[in-house]
Amino acid sequence: MKKLLAWILWLWIALMIVGAFAWAPLAQDFIGESSRILFFHVPMAWTAFVGFMAAGVWSARYLWFGRNVRHDQAAHTAVSLGLVFCVLATVSGAMWAKVMWGEYWNWDPRQLSIVMAMLFYMAYLTLRSAVADPQTGRRLAAAYALLGLAVAPFLFFVLPRMSGFTLHPEPVLNQSGKIEVEERMLTVLIAGAVGFTALFFWVHNLGRRLLSLSERAAARPIAGES
Amino acid sequence: MSQSASIWLAEAVAVYLKEWRCELRTRYALNTLGLFAFTTLVVVSMSLGAEGVLAAGPSVLSVLLWILLLFAVTAGLPRGFVHEEETHTATALRLAATPSALFCGKLAYNASVVFLLQLLLTPLFLIMMQLSVEKPLLLIWTLLAGGYGLAAGGTLVAAIIAQARTAGTLFAVLALPVLLPLLVMAIELTEIAVLGKAGDMAMPRLLLYDGTVTVVSLMLFPAIWNP
Repeated sequence: MKKLLAWILWLWIALMIVGAFAWAPLAQDFIGESSRILFFHVPMAWTAFVGFMAAGVWSARYLWFGRNVRHDQAAHTAVSLGLVFCVLATVSGAMWAKVMWGEYWNWDPRQLSIVMAMLFYMAYLTLRSAVADPQTGRRLAAAYALLGLAVAPFLFFVLPRMSGFTLHPEPVLNQSGKIEVEERMLTVLIAGAVGFTALFFWVHNLGRRLLSLSERAAARPIAGES
Repeated sequence: MSQSASIWLAEAVAVYLKEWRCELRTRYALNTLGLFAFTTLVVVSMSLGAEGVLAAGPSVLSVLLWILLLFAVTAGLPRGFVHEEETHTATALRLAATPSALFCGKLAYNASVVFLLQLLLTPLFLIMMQLSVEKPLLLIWTLLAGGYGLAAGGTLVAAIIAQARTAGTLFAVLALPVLLPLLVMAIELTEIAVLGKAGDMAMPRLLLYDGTVTVVSLMLFPAIWNP
């Protein structure tokens, strides 16, 4: 069953990539083929947000529902993966910004939001490495992840709307909350979001199991020692 | 008031008074925050000079004010719980007060230190930067709301780092992502107050942030404080 799901996921992503380059039309007011990067950039940013939420949920389960180490490992893995997607979203966004506006960095509110989210992820990982006792580290990291979850709506929704100005395209992100995107483009965009989210949870499952094994190996005494 | 509520209040007030009593013996936080902020203000003022201050304008000066406050808070607030762990008084505190009362006592103390710092720093800043304020009452409310937010976020992060190695440097790393939204909103409000611009939603946003961080901190503190 797992192998079948893995094959479905890879096929989905392959079709999404083909759709992004060969099936979806180019967006208006974009330079050349640069609009195709949005089919990857937007799902990556979405997945970074999903990672944030997932880390918060697992941290809450660890802290208030049984202190199960698996939940903490899941939160830790979600943060590590979320950071990867944050970096990918920032880099892909910067590449597109260079093509569209001539500069990699434009002080766009959404660019700043994703960087702030990256700071949070990195601070969480720094905290984990700064606490000697593993039990204490889990507890403190879970609390910090939940604090981040509480502040996340301000980072992702309040701050980008404060200035009223954004370089991000209006058909997708606008004040009325309506998506005014051509149908085929929207299909590929949603397929990308679903595919990247599934990819996140698949890699997350592998990462959590690897983390569990490495923690168990680290806890075992070395052969010959008491 | 019910008996449990009055006991809770007594515990919180006792913690608050204990913090001030300890602080007045050593004056560590007051000296650190005050001197750090004043020294930085002098450096900025000297570096900009008269022409630089005029060229910077109200928008940049609003940012500078909050950066000064943030740096001072980062220098002085981490000691709150680290001191308890170092002097082994944390266990006594765990026995003497409920976590929420302890957190509120510490928060009230940190907030009052930040307010005192703002009371000393802001007039000096306005004079040295030759900044006039169109809406002084709004500036006062912004300083109160923003200062409270700095104290609320800083108190919880101080509790987290107290049990970590390299507590001093870790505070800045953990606190800045939490405090960034607060700073952006406080800077916007300060600019509105200085320039007299319109901004109906700015203060409710800042108060919403303060309320969110306070409630979440009260929920998380027992898990942080009790092993």
